[in-house]
Amino acid sequence: MKTIPRRDKLKIYGDLLSALYSESGAGKIVLTQVQVRINVPFDRLKTYITELVDLGLIKDETSLELTKKGTQYLREYERVLDFMKRMGLEYR
Amino acid sequence: MYDVERITIEVVSAIACFILVRFMMKPFRLTGETRYLGLPLGFGFLGASYAFSALSFSPVFDFANRGWVQLFVRAFAFLFLAVTYYFSKSAKKPKLLWNITLGVLAAILTILILLAIMSPQFSWPNYRLAQIYVRVFDLVCLSYISIHALKSHMEQPDPTTLMIPLGYILLGIGQYSLLIWAVDASIFAFFSGLALRLAGLAVFLFVSYRTFYSSEKRGNR
Repeated sequence: MKTIPRRDKLKIYGDLLSALYSESGAGKIVLTQVQVRINVPFDRLKTYITELVDLGLIKDETSLELTKKGTQYLREYERVLDFMKRMGLEYR
Repeated sequence: MYDVERITIEVVSAIACFILVRFMMKPFRLTGETRYLGLPLGFGFLGASYAFSALSFSPVFDFANRGWVQLFVRAFAFLFLAVTYYFSKSAKKPKLLWNITLGVLAAILTILILLAIMSPQFSWPNYRLAQIYVRVFDLVCLSYISIHALKSHMEQPDPTTLMIPLGYILLGIGQYSLLIWAVDASIFAFFSGLALRLAGLAVFLFVSYRTFYSSEKRGNR
């Protein structure tokens, strides 16, 4: 059986911000779709969203729009992950 | 002979490495995981060894065992990089083990440098022999890193992941040329080694620049 590697919070935050960003491009953000995309239980997803709001990366829990800080964080996160991939380093 | 050319290449290599440190810090700064600290340390020590090599032509740094310091620092630079790749393979390897390894390596390097500066036992005839062994060691480290990076590329084939193994391979061939120079003093091998090193570092700079700056031009987000 193939095992899914455990993700740390940083990876989950990155995946969540990425999912919210791409879902917002498609129109209204549907939380269940985000949940499926990042593969976390719904109650934990709500907790992560609250934490991201507290960190100032998402505007609020209803609009789920990324703040300027959130967009900057996501951009840097994706670049560093891309860099690590190019360097042949693994990040799980 | 060829001192000006050599100093120029050493200075350019040192500058390239110090620029690379800035990029290599990013994985550690983002993740906060000490297992990625070997990247900036490796390139930092590599840059320091090139800077030291350039400075050794100056009368200020003209002390007896300067060659040893440069040799140790460069070997540890490659060792830090190799250890980083070894520990990056799996998150299961305990953080404590990495922290201990990092601490032990730093302690050994400090002791070796202090010995090289202060101890008269590090004499010239031993240095000639040590230079060959250390370069073989460097070559082993670079081979390990190249194989690791190539394996990573093979797992997820992508044209963008092919450049870095190429960079490490160029550094490795450069070390091999310097090994030939250490054995038979061939000036052609020496300058080929330096040129290959510059080419390798240029590849790293190109990849880093493309990742962090050219994506901005692509206009994503």
